[in-house]
Amino acid sequence: MIKTDVAPTLAGGPTLIPTDMPTTNRPMNMGQSMDDNTSRLDGVAKITGAAKYSSDMLLPNAVFARFVRCPFGAANLETVDDSAARKVPGVIDIEITPKACTYNGQPVGHVVAESPVAVNRALKALKLNWKKDSVKTSIRDTKQVGLLKGNAPDADVTIRAVYSTPVQTHSSLETHGGVVDHKGDKATVYASTQGTFSVRDGFGDALSLKGSDFEVVCEYVGGGFGSKLGGPGKELMLAAKLSQKLKRPAYVMCNRAEEHLDTGNRPSSVTSVWLSLKKDGSVVGGEVMTYGGVGVANGGGGCNVPSGRYTFANVNKSHEDVSFNAGGPRAFRAPGRPQGAFAEELMLDEAAAELGMDPLALKRKLAIDDVYREMLDQGAKLIGWGERKANGSQTSVMRTGFGVGIAGWGSASPGGNAEVVIHPDGSVESRTGTQDIGTGQRTTMGICTADAIGIPLSMVTVQIGRSSLPPGPGSGGSVTSPTTAPTMMNAATQARTKLFEVLARQGGDNAADFTVKDGVVLKRGEKFLSWKDACAKLPADGVMGSASTGDGGKGNSQGVQFVKVVVDCETGIIYPKHVIAIQSCGRVICRKTAESQIIGGVIQGLSYGMFENRILDRNVGAMVNPNLEWYKILGPCEMPHIEPVLWAHGQTGVKALGEPPTIPTAGALACAVFNAIGAPVRHLPLTPDKVLSALEGARS
Amino acid sequence: MGFATSQSSMNHQSTQSSATLNGTIAIRFTLNGREVEIAVDPTERLLDTLRYRLNLPGSKEGCGEGECGACTVTIDDLPANSCLVPTFQVRGCNVRTIESIPTSSLQPMLETGATQCGACTPGVVVTANWIKEHSSVLASHTLRALMAGNLCRCTGYDGIIDGLEKWIGNPKGGRP
Repeated sequence: MIKTDVAPTLAGGPTLIPTDMPTTNRPMNMGQSMDDNTSRLDGVAKITGAAKYSSDMLLPNAVFARFVRCPFGAANLETVDDSAARKVPGVIDIEITPKACTYNGQPVGHVVAESPVAVNRALKALKLNWKKDSVKTSIRDTKQVGLLKGNAPDADVTIRAVYSTPVQTHSSLETHGGVVDHKGDKATVYASTQGTFSVRDGFGDALSLKGSDFEVVCEYVGGGFGSKLGGPGKELMLAAKLSQKLKRPAYVMCNRAEEHLDTGNRPSSVTSVWLSLKKDGSVVGGEVMTYGGVGVANGGGGCNVPSGRYTFANVNKSHEDVSFNAGGPRAFRAPGRPQGAFAEELMLDEAAAELGMDPLALKRKLAIDDVYREMLDQGAKLIGWGERKANGSQTSVMRTGFGVGIAGWGSASPGGNAEVVIHPDGSVESRTGTQDIGTGQRTTMGICTADAIGIPLSMVTVQIGRSSLPPGPGSGGSVTSPTTAPTMMNAATQARTKLFEVLARQGGDNAADFTVKDGVVLKRGEKFLSWKDACAKLPADGVMGSASTGDGGKGNSQGVQFVKVVVDCETGIIYPKHVIAIQSCGRVICRKTAESQIIGGVIQGLSYGMFENRILDRNVGAMVNPNLEWYKILGPCEMPHIEPVLWAHGQTGVKALGEPPTIPTAGALACAVFNAIGAPVRHLPLTPDKVLSALEGARS
Repeated sequence: MGFATSQSSMNHQSTQSSATLNGTIAIRFTLNGREVEIAVDPTERLLDTLRYRLNLPGSKEGCGEGECGACTVTIDDLPANSCLVPTFQVRGCNVRTIESIPTSSLQPMLETGATQCGACTPGVVVTANWIKEHSSVLASHTLRALMAGNLCRCTGYDGIIDGLEKWIGNPKGGRP
């Protein structure tokens, strides 16, 4: 256990921060949110298995379907023999169109049957004759990326390097897809989506119904991380087609292999850079050339370096997306940022080593504002940066390293709508169609309503995740809470005002005479009625407040992360020990869900830094690890002690939280490994083979 | 089945005939304390039988190959990935799913934030409940090591381990 006697300056915090503190008792964060103690409103449903996800909508008489997919990176489907497959008991239909495919996992048709067993057996019984073609499987198959030439004439130090990051797949535990139940003149769509309303609007004519004649439902979503944005996707489009044709509910969910191959990813990147600095650490010139590996897509491979979080003078940037035979990218939690931050943070640490500077001092100097500098100072104390040894100075087998990275994110609200109804029995209902992908939308909406009205949260029920509710934003770009929180608070305030107007009319008072505190209605500051008795005076259908917010409301959030690792120099294995994740996100609504988001971002960043890699066979272009066995994600035994620090200094408004905590982690981890072993590992993931070869390079 | 179907998970090229697989196997087993009698296809997975035929969708499919643990159930009092078990193999066994765990005992897991999106959570809770019922294993294993078969993609494992510590009353979670 690491002890620290740092006295935090955060408002309301205690004077001693125990670093080995459990999740339920983070004294540093107490008092930093609107609600420190509430647990998820849907936590019981999730923990007991009662929560119904789209993949759990097992409707009577449903049919099951899956896509038939190309098993190679490039191949022509020449002939199809489905005679054996059609004889499989329970098979309803098979539709396959021979065509040329350009990536592993590309659909060429589908099988639909009475049960999942029959679908799988029919897929196995298909005789498909594929003629393989040559493939390209990486950026480097097309681009020769070498060290860039050039340097600033007045530079004291110039560094040159090439960095790369692999493809990371979203790996949400619930896969893509859903259920369509078409009843002729009406339909219900159970979608696993990050955008209830984009699914509704994205069907076009596919359901042969007006948007008002079908409902999209997604009360629970088993993760998305960006991959479930956009419209219905090919899975729900297939379900829509089959449900209409067969007049039965149609169930289409991807399996894990399909999920890796064809539901998007974080694109790979290669970054070549030269950077010139003066002795004092100021950057006087440079050039950054980045490439994004976008598979069969034509774009979407941006690599955010320089990030704009550090002051770089005269650094030119160019970028090119490179296509090859693989599934294309989709938005993935802070698109383009983690890959850029990896290159940027490690590049700065390499520059600091050349200059003989402490990398923290260099980053502190170059950070664009004082918020970052304050966060860096605070985090350095919490992680124990003073114990950091000079790069490569350790000779023991187990070597300790420290690294730091910074993050930023701006979220522009796309606008949204909300309603709050106060019923005569005193219950209060919050309504917004926006979905909860795990972030805590249901809980934060309840807290906002209760807080705005002045009643206990237990009186509020929250309805979300239905297209029949007031439209809200998609859960992407960290815009959900910044949009829905103020909207819901406005709606709640309006509903409360309407209640006051009813009370005022009945008693000959002014609505402005009333207020509510702790569930008691006060008139001119004196107790007037209990909440329940006051609501009993409402008409039978209660009163409703509704609010909408337009576009805009852009607000930046910032963060810094410190990583402490131990590297075993005999095996090359990295053991992250401790992560300090300081994060601003404006006004925090719910402490526990906010902390959960930060920890989750750090975990995904560490997992990206250490393990995750979509590996394609370079001869046939097939993914060799389309599972969770060889596509490894971080598990409980690899997890360090992660301390989320909610930074609420003078913050107002609700700002972005989903994306920023995953931006700096892999970069900070790479810097920590560099510090421990004295040689940079410039290519993610930081697997033992790369650590050992970097060590060998450092020795020679 | 033999080698004819032992192909990749994509499996498009098999020549497997279904002729020998038309039959079903009638089995009996105990499910959450009740006797169940059901005829199953020999290739039917226990996870699918539970979800699609016995109306118990609490067990989730995360990976379908025994890595993520979202489908964890107990079979004769041992945790198992139900996606890896052909249903006919539980003939005569005692199977328990997430639906059998009393909700009143789960408060600590709720308070520590052991869940985010929730898709991994039922499997986590089944494993956790097994550890609680067999706490002697903590003499030789840390909670973290015992939970290593359950993957979470959203917020990881601190909330789970902390919840378990409170639930079991064992303070040694094995934090690294």
